[in-house]
Amino acid sequence: MFNRSAQDSRSSAIEADSRESTTAVRLEGVTHQYGSGGGRLRSSDERTVTALRDVSFDVPMGSILGLEGPSGSGKSTILHAVAGLLVPTDGNVLLCGTDLTALSDAERTRMRRRHIGIVFQRFHLLPSLSARANVALPLVQAGISRSDRRARATALLEAVGLGDRSTHLPGELSGGERQRVAIARALSTDPDVIVADEPTGELDTATGADVLELLTDIGRDRAVVVASHDATTLSVADRVITLRDGQVDDVR
Amino acid sequence: MSDETDDLPDGLETRRRRRWTGLFSLTVSRWWQRATGTTAGRIVSTVAAVALTIAFLLVVTGIALSLADGGVTTTDDATVHITPEAQQTLSSVDGVEGPRLGKTNERASTIRAHDGVAHASPVLIEVGRLEAGGDPQTVQLVGVVPDGESRTVSGLSTDALEDGDPHYANGSYDGPRTGGIVLSRIAADRLGASAGDDLTVSTSPRRATNFSVTAVSETDGGAPVALVHASELQSLSGAADGELADRMVIWGEPDAARSAAADAYPDASVAVTDTADPTALFDDGLAFATSVIALVVGVTICASFVATTMGMTVDEDRRTLAVLESVGVPARGRLAVIAISTGITTLVGSVVGVGLGAAGIAGVNAVASATVAPGAVAQFHPLFVPYGIAVAVLAGIVAVPYPLAVAARTSVLAEVGR
Repeated sequence: MFNRSAQDSRSSAIEADSRESTTAVRLEGVTHQYGSGGGRLRSSDERTVTALRDVSFDVPMGSILGLEGPSGSGKSTILHAVAGLLVPTDGNVLLCGTDLTALSDAERTRMRRRHIGIVFQRFHLLPSLSARANVALPLVQAGISRSDRRARATALLEAVGLGDRSTHLPGELSGGERQRVAIARALSTDPDVIVADEPTGELDTATGADVLELLTDIGRDRAVVVASHDATTLSVADRVITLRDGQVDDVR
Repeated sequence: MSDETDDLPDGLETRRRRRWTGLFSLTVSRWWQRATGTTAGRIVSTVAAVALTIAFLLVVTGIALSLADGGVTTTDDATVHITPEAQQTLSSVDGVEGPRLGKTNERASTIRAHDGVAHASPVLIEVGRLEAGGDPQTVQLVGVVPDGESRTVSGLSTDALEDGDPHYANGSYDGPRTGGIVLSRIAADRLGASAGDDLTVSTSPRRATNFSVTAVSETDGGAPVALVHASELQSLSGAADGELADRMVIWGEPDAARSAAADAYPDASVAVTDTADPTALFDDGLAFATSVIALVVGVTICASFVATTMGMTVDEDRRTLAVLESVGVPARGRLAVIAISTGITTLVGSVVGVGLGAAGIAGVNAVASATVAPGAVAQFHPLFVPYGIAVAVLAGIVAVPYPLAVAARTSVLAEVGR
């Protein structure tokens, strides 16, 4: 359903290079302290909280990595670092071979637009836009024409089983439908990496199973990093890292 | 790394245009959904505040324009006014009175001969003292040449004055005086006079003449004004030498009247009187100060309200900004969404405000006419439309830094983590 060759046939040397690489995401000795002034360029004597300590792992293309651990163990911090929303205090985050920690804010935003799709626990759809407009949202900044945006968003909504709900506002959709719209939005720019934070956390068991099936499909030719407390959700992962107090406690 | 390296097949300019048009249409769509949805309160209140401010500004400016245009002494139904330019010095008492037009009776005849011109009359305005047996009263005397048609000069009907201007007698000023005078209601009340009464009229201690009241006009309630024949007032005031008058009024087709006016007085100011001249605001200190104060107050109130409400809206909308950032919209694009949203709100408010302003001016005139004034006390000019919109846009520009500052402080991690 989500085979990348069936989607937009954009091509560029940059993306071709990145997709040939077997490693989509690499964390090298990542440490992050909240309250340290916001990043590695600033230091402070303020009281700090260490969220990650020397975390390293790879996520190959075509695999799903699960992150588990109690609240405050650093799962979300890792997702935010992978998505370029956060610059760790120390260490490197390589996305498709590019070190995000060496980029400016604008450059990280551009990397995120091209290479990352994010699925939030609480969907975070824009309530005043239709399902189709929400899915097309990342394509606006990509400079895609209006007709192409509509066509691609419609195709993705059909792929997640919501072809007949494209004009509905998020408030008119069920929780499962909203999460499927959020997944379609994450896929709209055909990213290399999907990060999902508790994607089934707000859903009932049956609906959660549908969403996991979607993530499994997506993970066949992309890298997926999914954080969850839920063992069922993590069962779709090829590898699961257990975090405790910001450190890797176990890998299985 | 830059946008120029984006890997789409389209050109850079095409992609850039699509981005901005996409962001614009996204913002318009969101704005419309919110303005018409269940959470429309804040947008509607902001639009209403802008609209009321602009309407207030236009009503005050309309009153100022009316003040600048002369008020009751120029409430004529004529098509065109000719007034001397400031540098023309044909004044009978140079340096004390304003400049006047010369050869007015003669040139009025020339103007009347033009095709499309129905009538032309000099208008001489003097302050006189009138006495009807009681205490003398100061009244604005207006000299005019009636033509038998129903016309209004200085808010008074010329119907009760004899046709023509027999005392003029081709410039000899020795023709028979009609001695007729039309009083405004307030002038008649102050004098205790009514139709048929005799009055003594003087413009200086040594010049007094008798007139007979031919009518009391009920249409005038604001100022004590009296209409007499132009030549009789010219003789009384000493303006017969040079056939002086303060202005010439012409009735007829606007183009023909304007052309005839320009031919007769090529160096004078010619204005079509069905529309006020907004440049008159700059010539009248009080009117100019009033309109400037209204502008400053309007911009200040409008900008303050827009800044506050849009800042609150952005504060409630931080999650949207965080989502935009998470899908790769850069800071410039996110701030543009806020700026466009603010611009739409002020623009819509200004358009509504111009409509309310026009209605307000009509309302003020209706109330004034029904109570204290003989006619319109405020005027609406077509330039008020772009003026109102421009003021609202200015207020939006002044206001927009605040919501942008609120937006710039948004933390995507804090918002998406909720």
